[in-house]
Amino acid sequence: MSGNWPNVDLDPVRRLRVLAAGIPGATVTERVLPAPFERVWALLSDLEGQFGRIQPDMHRVTITQVDGDRLQALARSRFGMRARLDGVLRPGWCWLQSRFLLIGMAASPEPGGGTRVAFTGGVRVPGRAALVPIGVGRAGRRAMNRLADRLH
Amino acid sequence: MSDDPVGLVRAAQAGDTIAMNSLLDHLVPYTSRICAPIALHSGADATQEALVAVFRALHTLREPQALYGWVRSIAVREAVRIARRDSRSTPAELTELPAPGDPQLAADIRDVLGRLSPEHRAILVLRDVEGLDEKAAADLLGVPEGTVKSRLHRARDSFRKAWTS
Repeated sequence: MSGNWPNVDLDPVRRLRVLAAGIPGATVTERVLPAPFERVWALLSDLEGQFGRIQPDMHRVTITQVDGDRLQALARSRFGMRARLDGVLRPGWCWLQSRFLLIGMAASPEPGGGTRVAFTGGVRVPGRAALVPIGVGRAGRRAMNRLADRLH
Repeated sequence: MSDDPVGLVRAAQAGDTIAMNSLLDHLVPYTSRICAPIALHSGADATQEALVAVFRALHTLREPQALYGWVRSIAVREAVRIARRDSRSTPAELTELPAPGDPQLAADIRDVLGRLSPEHRAILVLRDVEGLDEKAAADLLGVPEGTVKSRLHRARDSFRKAWTS
């Protein structure tokens, strides 16, 4: 190959749009929040702390294993159900699944200022890359409102 | 989990979204390498749209070994579509392509690409980035082999003329 061919990387929000497109039922909730990326991601990536106050259905998360950007965690929903989550946590990117749950969060600095945040997730259709299409968008909007409140 | 793309496709098709995440890690650099030179300033949009199409249709891929050829054809199609959609006033467009190894091609690939139509950029990428021959490029683009051959080989003089004007 000759010369320096143009190349691009996909920021985390674009990556979330791509994965959600491959998962029937996965709605993406996106918003630009007026706060720097570092502050937004500090809240979202605090899985054992702030995360449970932002995601409406999560009561408590305990990280049980970390290997590079891979992690395992135990989550307890506010209804008392437990889930063993498996996934990836990187700057601007969190993708977790259990047998019955999917949680996707992404954040990227917005060129005009602020941070673009995207959520997806919900209850999985067992054995498939698909979500039960009930309340997915509403849960995303609630989580976004909670995040915006905590940034104020 | 295996990092083998074939194993990742099978796991993703079976419903494992962590495998989908790992597969995306594999496919972003490959897809971008095709989409960015064709779609230029819309390279990120084209890469995203190509991968959206890939992941939407992943369940239809019967031969995971054919992954990269399959992704390549989707990436070229989406990149040409997005480039056409977003085309702005194009400066004096080249109608012909520089030959392989042309020193001017190596010197400033962006300038050369900016003077070509999206379809010509697609041929250049398939030849110089993907290493396809004319027949394979013609098949992928859905044009007669003679069209690709003439676009590629008649070219040198008019390319140089446009370059030096």
